Amino acid sequence: MGTYFQNIKDGFTTAFEGMSISFATMFVRKETVQYPEVDISSNATIAEKYKGSLMGMPENYRGILGVDLSLCTACQICQKTCPIDCIVIDNVKCDKTKLSLEDGSPVLNRFTQKEALKTRTVTRFDINAAKCMYCGLCEKACPTGAIQHTKKFEMNRESQEELILRFVSDDEKATAEKRASAIEAEAVAKKAGKAKKEVEEKAKAKEKGAEE
Amino acid sequence: MDAILLSFGLAPLAAKIISMVIICVIVLLAFVTIGGILTLVERRIAGFMQSRLGPNRVGPQGALQWVADGVKLILKEDLIPDGADRVLFRIAPYFCLVGIFGTMVVFPWGQGVIVADLNVGLFYFISITALVVFGVLMAGWSSNNKWSLLGGMRAAAQIVSYEIPVGMSLLVPILISGTLSMGGIMAAQGWLPWDWMAFRSPFTVLSFLIFFIGSLAEANRTPFDLPEAESELVSGYCTEYTGFRYAVFFLSEWANLFVFGGLTTAVFLGGGNLPGVLEGYTILSVLVYLSKVAVIIFVVIWLRWTLPRFRIDQLMTLSWKYLLPGAFIAFLGQALYMLMTQQIPIVQSVVAVLMFLVFVFVLFRFAIRVRVNMSEQRIPVNSPASDVS
Repeated sequence: MGTYFQNIKDGFTTAFEGMSISFATMFVRKETVQYPEVDISSNATIAEKYKGSLMGMPENYRGILGVDLSLCTACQICQKTCPIDCIVIDNVKCDKTKLSLEDGSPVLNRFTQKEALKTRTVTRFDINAAKCMYCGLCEKACPTGAIQHTKKFEMNRESQEELILRFVSDDEKATAEKRASAIEAEAVAKKAGKAKKEVEEKAKAKEKGAEE
Repeated sequence: MDAILLSFGLAPLAAKIISMVIICVIVLLAFVTIGGILTLVERRIAGFMQSRLGPNRVGPQGALQWVADGVKLILKEDLIPDGADRVLFRIAPYFCLVGIFGTMVVFPWGQGVIVADLNVGLFYFISITALVVFGVLMAGWSSNNKWSLLGGMRAAAQIVSYEIPVGMSLLVPILISGTLSMGGIMAAQGWLPWDWMAFRSPFTVLSFLIFFIGSLAEANRTPFDLPEAESELVSGYCTEYTGFRYAVFFLSEWANLFVFGGLTTAVFLGGGNLPGVLEGYTILSVLVYLSKVAVIIFVVIWLRWTLPRFRIDQLMTLSWKYLLPGAFIAFLGQALYMLMTQQIPIVQSVVAVLMFLVFVFVLFRFAIRVRVNMSEQRIPVNSPASDVS
């Protein structure tokens, strides 16, 4: 008989407490993140009020590919490595430059440990994020570490077209092409000058020979 | 309505039938709308109670979600499983719907707003809702599916065994008002809380609680939703239903919620009674009634998202060992109480006010607990303060 009334009491008190908890929850902030409207790649907007863990992605996380064009030598190794051809690179000639980091120290080729030299520049560097399978081979093959997996994982777009990441803007492409044609013209001019000189020298030599 | 139709030159009988059909269609549409809106309300409240938002995409704040759901369900393919009893399978949902829809006849929307104030209104109410058992059992049997059958059997056993405590506890208000008509029971109460049936005496409080719990079980609501226990029976008696028939099942389930709230309000919580000064303002009366119904519906939904489901043996234990003796005690106690205090109405009023004060005290305690829990909910999960030591 004791348990009988104890059961009734327990029934009411536990329901009382449980209902107070669920009623309280109704007025506490909602945890739902309204995803497409809220940028979840940057934790900043969520972090202020978020109750859960904000550890983020681990260091070796293979997210969407990113390219640091200041390190790129347009060697096209990544393009050739990619098993599913999701990287497309076009390049043109540019001024010979030695790559350097922001603090001025030279960039070394990871495999040969020589200073990386840039002779060509990219006019098109497209990565199709829809095709990419995140194998990480391009990252391994890149001599300068220009192409890397970011920690970004969120990339929903409305069409496949928008999933193609373009790292070179049209302006940059135009200036690079302009410079390339200028270099070309210079080279042609130099060559022409050299050829002229040679012809002149030959002519001189001939003259000398004739004199003798 | 009749007069308008007669002015077109229709025969009196035809006019009567046509006007009846029109009224029926209007009430049915209102019924469907209420059922639909309640699905949305339930989902929103469920969301809030689980720190979610709930459906909020279709229309402003998801207000049109129920229309989208209905349209979706109607457009679905209508499947009848192989080996099903086709006739029973087809008509089962309508038994459920009719069982709930039939209560609209004696539904007391407010003072004097009632389709037919039968002198056995409450009795009719209990009897017509018993049709739901037929529908559920038919659906379970005809689906030719073990889960459906188990669900149907459970539902039938549950509804039949909970009818008894519910009926017994309804005897108490009948005892006080001395009538079975809904209008009469409502008229026996006043607009003040201590004039309501629920707070008349300790025994009416008991009968109110028993009625509430028993009706929850009859309406197949959590914590008594064993007929549809997803974890055990897939979806119970409506496992094999698709499309429109499924929609009808669900409509009747949610409309049942409204009907349940309406009955509770009318019998125990004063219905649409207004203070004497405002007597005669029908719209106001209906509004008062509907707001009380809304509170009851909220409490039912709230219970659903708080309490876990009972086991089948616990369910039966609760009904036969706890609710039924309680209902008997309430009935006999109220009878004795009325006999003893018949000559001294002042005692009755004092007890009623006391009961109401006890209720207010419980509410106050509840508010304090809610405050405490709210402050606990605000502690971030991964902060040292939330570590359970």
